Amino acid sequence: MEIINGVTIAIVLFGIGLLGLILRRDLVIKLLALGLVNGSTILCLVSLNARVDGVAPIVHSPASAPYVDPLPHALVLSAIVINFAILALALVFVMLLVERYHTTDSQRIEHEIEGERIP
Amino acid sequence: MRWPSRGMIITASALAICFCALLIMMFDYHGAREEAGAAYIERGTIDTGAANLVAAIYLNYRLFDTLFEILVFSVAVLGVRFYLAQQRGSEKEIARIPESQVIRISADLLFPPILLLGIYLVLFGHLSPGGGFSGGTVAGTGLLLCAVALGADVVARRFHEAALERFEWGVLLAILLLALFPVVLRRLPLTDLLSPGRVGNMVSGGSILIYNVLIGVKVFIGTWVIIHYFVRHRGEI
Repeated sequence: MEIINGVTIAIVLFGIGLLGLILRRDLVIKLLALGLVNGSTILCLVSLNARVDGVAPIVHSPASAPYVDPLPHALVLSAIVINFAILALALVFVMLLVERYHTTDSQRIEHEIEGERIP
Repeated sequence: MRWPSRGMIITASALAICFCALLIMMFDYHGAREEAGAAYIERGTIDTGAANLVAAIYLNYRLFDTLFEILVFSVAVLGVRFYLAQQRGSEKEIARIPESQVIRISADLLFPPILLLGIYLVLFGHLSPGGGFSGGTVAGTGLLLCAVALGADVVARRFHEAALERFEWGVLLAILLLALFPVVLRRLPLTDLLSPGRVGNMVSGGSILIYNVLIGVKVFIGTWVIIHYFVRHRGEI
């Protein structure tokens, strides 16, 4: 087994995305990190299913070529659509927060919200 | 911020390492998964008549999953529209982008092929890579190019916004009714009533073509609505 393959790259990307999601304070960068996490999940699903001699599961002739398993590809399709939906909606919430607090810094937004609550 | 205790950090990292090891071992072990997929590869084309086995799975065997996928997409579009339409006060007049001959001409040149590619992807989704989701997104992106070249308000004026929204929900209703229709004939819902047809023909694959067209229209309108509301809220592209 090679050390550098789809799964290890996906794990590294997932780690980078997770760290960005936790450690960075900028909301837009948090969303970018979320996109990275989503992308790494898709890469992991596809490469778990990959074969060296496999062809895409599209039947052109009855001859039995070694098709790869089509099920993870169908799952990845759902993952992509839901990823898109989550990112679009999260971007709207970030836009509303920025409009109200005039910053994308999550900690400053938190401080302002706490300041609002305590009179 | 309170720092988590040492035990928690150790537990979390042990969990992460175990999960990564599991994934890497899965990557090396092919046997069991091939058997699971072999059934779809063997029967998929005979059962559904679609040459694209991925389309055969997500629009026939696992149509139930896809219905919820469409629902998630619709809810996202509804959420974008709802939250951005609330901010009526901040709505600015969309700033006209200075006319650029380069963008204008390239949009004129590129828009018809992009639209054609989108329609092709939708119509041939059961024969080749593509399908409703990708085709709709491609066509929607073509509209974004037009919005960049002509200004979003010009493109928006071409569409009747209220009718478009009603049409979008009508398409969603059509998809759900199509999935429920077999109940009328005392069959299980989500059953494919049309015959598979000859594999490789344009009209084949049973209802997959109809679902692809409906999903393509839905995603096309949804993409345009998201783009338009973002542009309208921000005031410019």
